Order: sequence, then structure tokens, then C-alpha cells
Amino acid sequence: MTNRRSFLTGAGVTMLGASLVSKAGAATLPEAPVHSSAATAAPLAPPSGRPYNPVVTLNGWTLPWRMKDGVKEFHLVAEPVVRELAPGMQANLWGYNGQSPGPTIEVVEGDRVRIFVTNKLPEHTSVHWHGQLLPCGMDGVTGLTQPGIQPGKTFVYEFVARHAGTFMYHPHADEMQQMAMGMMGFWVTHPKNPRQHAVDRDYVMLLSSYDIEPGSYTPRTNTMLDFNLWTINSRVFPGLDPMVARLGDKVRIRVGNLTMTNHPIHLHGHRFEVAGTDGGWVPKSARWPEVTTDVAVGQMRAIEFVADAPGDWAFHCHKSHHTMNAMGHDVPTLIGVDHRGVAEKINKLVPGYMVMGDKGGSMGDMKMPLPANTLPMMSGDGPFGNLEMGGMFTVLKVREGLARGDYRDPGWYRHPAGSVAREWTGDVPAPTSAPDARPAPAPAGQALDARKPGAKDGGGHHHH
Amino acid sequence: MPTPRMYRGALATAATLLLAGCASTNPDTALHASAGQARALAGVEPRLLRNDDDRRALAAEIDDLVRQPLSLDAAVRIAILNHPGLQAQYWDAGIAQADLAQASRLRNPSFGFSRMSGGGSVEIERGVSLDLAGLLTMPLRQRMAARRHEQATLQVAAAIERHAIATRRAWIEAVAAGQALDYARQVAAAADASSELMERMTLAGNASALDLARESSFHAEAGAAVLRAARARDAARERLTRQLGLWGAQAGYILPERLPDLPAQAVALSGIERLAIERRLDVRAARADAAGTAADLGLTRTTRMVNVLDLGYASKSETGEARSEGYEVSLELPLFDWGGARVARAEGLYMQALGRVAETAVNARSEARAGYLGYRASHDVARHYRDHVIPLRKKIAEETLLRYNGMLASPFELLADAREQAAAVHAAIEALKDFWLAEADLEAALGGRLPPSPSATHVHAHEHKEAQ
Repeated sequence: MTNRRSFLTGAGVTMLGASLVSKAGAATLPEAPVHSSAATAAPLAPPSGRPYNPVVTLNGWTLPWRMKDGVKEFHLVAEPVVRELAPGMQANLWGYNGQSPGPTIEVVEGDRVRIFVTNKLPEHTSVHWHGQLLPCGMDGVTGLTQPGIQPGKTFVYEFVARHAGTFMYHPHADEMQQMAMGMMGFWVTHPKNPRQHAVDRDYVMLLSSYDIEPGSYTPRTNTMLDFNLWTINSRVFPGLDPMVARLGDKVRIRVGNLTMTNHPIHLHGHRFEVAGTDGGWVPKSARWPEVTTDVAVGQMRAIEFVADAPGDWAFHCHKSHHTMNAMGHDVPTLIGVDHRGVAEKINKLVPGYMVMGDKGGSMGDMKMPLPANTLPMMSGDGPFGNLEMGGMFTVLKVREGLARGDYRDPGWYRHPAGSVAREWTGDVPAPTSAPDARPAPAPAGQALDARKPGAKDGGGHHHH
Repeated sequence: MPTPRMYRGALATAATLLLAGCASTNPDTALHASAGQARALAGVEPRLLRNDDDRRALAAEIDDLVRQPLSLDAAVRIAILNHPGLQAQYWDAGIAQADLAQASRLRNPSFGFSRMSGGGSVEIERGVSLDLAGLLTMPLRQRMAARRHEQATLQVAAAIERHAIATRRAWIEAVAAGQALDYARQVAAAADASSELMERMTLAGNASALDLARESSFHAEAGAAVLRAARARDAARERLTRQLGLWGAQAGYILPERLPDLPAQAVALSGIERLAIERRLDVRAARADAAGTAADLGLTRTTRMVNVLDLGYASKSETGEARSEGYEVSLELPLFDWGGARVARAEGLYMQALGRVAETAVNARSEARAGYLGYRASHDVARHYRDHVIPLRKKIAEETLLRYNGMLASPFELLADAREQAAAVHAAIEALKDFWLAEADLEAALGGRLPPSPSATHVHAHEHKEAQ
């Protein structure tokens, strides 16, 4: 696991994208900062405008803005990017301002927002502000509400963020290709009153999926269901940073689903409530407790809980293939297959062949050479060995005595003595077994023989 | 009309020629001329097997050669020394040699004797006559026979060359067929492993009877391919055995497992047409043939009038008469046949021979060009397989194994790839075989061995050095 990664502040890695716009335009356009790291950026405290409690984009960042005549101005640049899905794997994606997903946009309920969108993609694009209530002409659907933003052109969107809530943005132009290439970003509209719905830690993440052939770099955009990389903010385990919480913190996790299937998101060690959807906040009386919530396609869910259990708690999609990295979906099951003799034969033909899978899929700590730019199907070093996970998996780390706003990885949990499952070395009591109720097996041949009694050998069907 | 003096002179000439002719009827000497040609072509000097000692010596030599895997050169050597058909042809040289000797000899003098009696008287006539025309035209006929001898020499040499080339082709085919069998076996082994693994999977409940039947049917077909390849190998080997003229224990020779490596570079030749015209035996034979018909034509012209000119000593004794002696000359009178038709025929034959020379030369030039182009092209193809196709197949195998490592591919994909790899190697062997056959064809078209190409090992060492 890539813990103890340097926790980068936004300022350290954002650069001014001055070269993106002409000198004449520079006076009128806000800066388009670029983020070059896939590490989690610290929350961006609002430097201007109404106050709010900023969110943390797991392995992502928040887009700075400028105030101009009371309007919050953002500048998104749609462009090809190279995203590190996890150390050892780069993906050629399309994104915004240097990363996929694009930077999170945070505004406050009632803010007037002006967003410049510059297209540096090889084809036209648009931005749809998913879940926002806005003038129809700002909805970003090419052909329907606006012409596409042609390559090299800059469009401006302007509307009022009317409702507090959890939203996202993505293209509504050549959507299938552009979303399969990673074009998406998170949008949070904070309530006017920062104390309303206030939590101590507010994590946001978008779920997306890619089909990148082992050894290649660019997603196959025509794949519909058989993706091989299931990502949180275009990262896969072990490339995902942990979510850190101080013991007793109220924690919110907002999850948006832009894949083509649902994801039952499951948190260990805690009960949470589904507190919001992209339609808004759920009234307290209507929330119900869960340890898993299904986030359907195109939906947002905000879950809230009190981090009251210290430890390292798994957080993942409960579809087990979604907690794996690339695997061969057509590989036959070899469990229980006796390889004696055959393995030698294969080895003669394929030097370097090694029997795998006959005892299950676990590859333990085998470090086998893989195709270039390919992550192991399951990996991640934990304090007790290999986690055998990939994809949509990370860890919620709840610790006592962390400082507010300290998101650094605290390392592995130190369990109190006697609180870890251990090998039993004493006597094992004999298992109690039910009386053998299975019927005696039929004599050989009888069960399979469909011939009528008395039918002549080989001519049975004549008598039917 | 020959005078007695001429008569004596002619006899003296005949005697000299008789003596000269006697020395050149040895068939070994006759083969020697062909042998020189054969050495240049095949690197082996043929020799006649005249008795059991010769045969035993050759058998011992062949035993030595077949003790190790039979190289291409050894195969050619055995074929040239041992092949019974060639041995039979070697005697042609001896026969031509004898013909030449014959041409140097004068027709035997004829002796005539007649005795007639009647009415109490006996008349006896004696006569010795000599083929005077033959004597006079002997140098001409000798030249003709010499040319015929040269032709025979060339024909024997050509037979050796043809046999050497055919042997090389048979050797290349037989070795390649052995390699093809090896690879068919490898494919079958991959299919075997595949079907056995599927069988184990079926036993474990992880695969269906349909899966197993599919895998097994592939295995069964691979088995059939092995049988076919074995049949082809056996047939190719027997063709080689026939070329070698071997039987019995010696027919149990073993062949190398692989064809020789591709030479690093194809031999660059300039002036191939000139080479072909200079060296090709068919061109030389056509020329010799034309020269022979020219001599025939000369003879025919010389004797157009006088076909028979016999000079003889005649003696007649008759009872009661004095013995009378004299000479007699018999001469065909060119009254009805002035020899014009014979001359015209000989001229026709001569012109025909000239035409054949031209045709042979044109064909030789074209064959030389075609052979060279084929040789270069097949070198390109074989090199393409060696430098591109096979390394790519290796790369595919490596990458497939990496995918297997990551559980991205199954063992069946590894085995399927092993089969495809074997197929590519098989195609590479075919390309290499085609190259060596094209080289043999080119040598046939040029009438001789190619100069050696830069050795492969040398170039590899050089490349290795560069890689460092």
C-alpha cells in the first residue's frame, strides 16, 4: 500500500496555465491552474466569498477561483492527460486541468458562478452540470441546448448555484467516448450556513471504470460492461490514499457513480446513514442505517457516520471483481485440477510456465513479471501480509488524537493486546455432524439408464 | 590415281596412327577428363569401379561417411562415387575413348581370293586392297571422333552435375522433412498437454464433455499431422537414398537435425550471364556438337565425289598362263549421286546445331538471371523469417507468458501460442529450405559452385560486438 505518501498542498503543485489563453484573453479570463500530482490535495479553504467547510477529493484536488464583480469565476481546460492509476500504471485519459477526474468545484448556495471552458481536445465538447437547477441554455447538452465547443474555443457558462448538495460535471458531447476517457469532475454546493450539515471530514469521490488492455495505456472506449479497472477518482488500490479520521469525528463520504453499473459501497466497522442524493439532503427522519449502500449509475450518495471505532477499516465496492485489477475474465477455473505430469509437458513447450490457480486464485506473495504498464490483479502490502485487493478499495483509518485538518496517513493501526484474531493452538473439539441423511447411491448404470426395462440393447428407442 | 609411292607413304601413315591409337583405350583415362569437370562442379572426383577391390574400398569409405550425421558434401560425395546409374554412365567416357581410338585406325585391308576352274583350267585371282579414301580422310575423321569424345566427356560431366544437384536437392528436402516432423510432433505435444489439462479439468468438474471433446479433437488432428509428416519424411529420405545409391546397412545413415543456417549475406554476383555461358556444360556441349557437325560437313564435302576409293594389289594366275600382277582401283562413279544431297544434309545438320547453340545460350542466360533472382529473393524471405517473424513469435510467447503470470491468460492460451509458434517455425524452415533449393538451382543455372558467402558466424560475432 502506498501509505505515507507525501501529502501535497494544492499550492505546491498547481501551475498557472498562462500559455493557454491569448494575451488579450488573459485579461478577461481567470487562471486555469493545472495539477500535476495524483496525490490527495489538502482541502482548499475559501480565500474569498462566503465561508464553507471544504471537502477533500481523494487523490484529487479543488479548483481555485477568482471573484469578479461578485461572481465566482472558474476556468476548466478540457485536455488529454496522463493519469497514474496506481504506481506502475499510467493511463492516457482525457480530463480537465491536468488530471482525470477534473478538479472539484466548490461553491456556496446562492453563489453566482461563471465557468470558462476551454477545449484542448481534438474534438468538440461541452460540460453538463449534472444535478444543477439552471437555465436550460446552460445545461451543456450539445445540439440540444448549445453548439459543441470546438477545439481551441472557449465557452462560458453562467448560473446561480441554487441548492446545496452533491453534484458532478461531465461532457454531454460524444459522451460515450469522452466519459470512457475519464472526462468528469465533482461539484459540491455548500449550504449558506457553514454549520448546517457540518461534518469534521468530508471526502468526495467519483467512481469510473476503464478497459485498458494489459500492456497498453489508452482505455478501450467501446467497452460497455467488461471493464477491467474499477476506479475511485481514476485511481485503483493500492494507489488510493486512505481516508483518515480522528476518533469521534463526524465523517461524510460523497460518492458519485459514472460507471455503467451499480456499486454497493460498503464500509467496515461502522454504521452510516444515507444523508443525501444528488436531489438534495434526506430529511433526518427519512434516513436509515446501512453498512452498504448501492450507488446506481449516474447517482450520487452522501453517507454520514461518526468514526467511533479506532482501527483500519476497509471501504470498498462489494462486487468482488470491482476490488480486483485487470484479470482474464475468460481464464478457466483451475481449482482442484490435478496438474501432475501435465505441468511438466507444458513446461517443455513453454519454458517459465508455473502452475497457478489449482489451489484457488490467491497468488500470495508471488512476484511474477507482468506485461508493461499492468498492475497485479490483487496486491497491497498490509501489516499482516498481502491484502489481495485492487480496484475500488481503500481504507478508513480512525485514530485517536489527530489534529483537525490532519489528513496525513497515520500508518497501520496498532491493535490493543489480545484484540487480533489468532491461530488457535489448543485442542480442537470434534465437529458435531448431522446424521448421514443422504440416500445410498444408486447402483451403477441404473440412474443414467433411461431405457425401459425389457427394451432390447441398442434398440431402445424403437419401443418408445 | 595413286602411285606405288603414294601407296607406301599411306601405309607408313597408317602404321603410325595404329600405334598412336593403341595407347588411348583405357576407360580411367577417359573418365579423367570428365572427372576434372566434376571436381569443379561438385568437389568430388568420380572413379570407375572395375572390380571387387574397388567396391570394397568404396564401401569402407562410405561406412566412414555414414558413421556420423550425413552432411550435404558427404551425400554428394557418396552419390557421385557410388550411384550405379552414374557408374554405368562413366563407361560412356570409355566408350567414346574407344571410338576415338577406332577412328585413328585404318579399315583393315581386304584380301580377295577367287579360284575358278572349268575346262581343265584353273584361274586363281588374289588381291589385297586398302581403303585409300579412308586413309586420306583419316585426319578429318580423327578430328571428328575427338570432338565426339569431347562431347561424350561433357555428357558424362553433365550427368555428374545433374546428379550432384539432384542429390543436394534430395538432401535438403530430406533434412527439412525431418525438421517438419519434429515441429509436427511439437504441435502434437502442445495439443496433448492441452487435451490432458482439459481432461483433468473435466475430472475436477471444471469443464464439460463438450470442452473436452473439442480439445481432444484438436489433439487427434495434430496426431494425424504427425503421421502425415512422418510419411513425407520417409518418402523424402527414400528419394535421397536412391540418389545415393545406397542399400542395406548403409541405407540406415542418419541425417542432421537441422538445415544449415542461412548465410549472413547472399552472394553478390556480377556478370552471371557471362559465367553461365562460360561454365555451363549444356552450352559447351551444344558448341561441341556444332563443331562436330562442322567436321562432319567437312568430311562430307571432301568425299562428296569419292565415297569409295579402294586401291588394291591384284595377282592372277591361270593354268598355263604366266602369273600376272597389277593393282586395281575401284572408284564409285559420281554419275547419279554427285553427293549434293549428302552435303546438303550435313549442312542442314550443321545449321541446326548452330541454332541449338543459340537456343541453349539464350536459355542459359535467362536461367542464370532467373536463378540468381530466385536465389536473392529466397534469401530475403528466409532472412525475413529469421530476423522478423521468428523474433516476433518469441516476443508474443514472452508476452503471453506475462499475461499468464498476471492471470490474464489461461494455460490453454499458452499452449495455443506454442502451437502457433511451431507453425511459424515450420514456415521459417520452409523458407530456409527454399533458399537452399534456390541456391542449388542457381548453381545448376551457372554450371558450377558459387563462391563462398561471408560466413554467418563472422557476421554474428560482428553484430554481437556492435550490440556491446
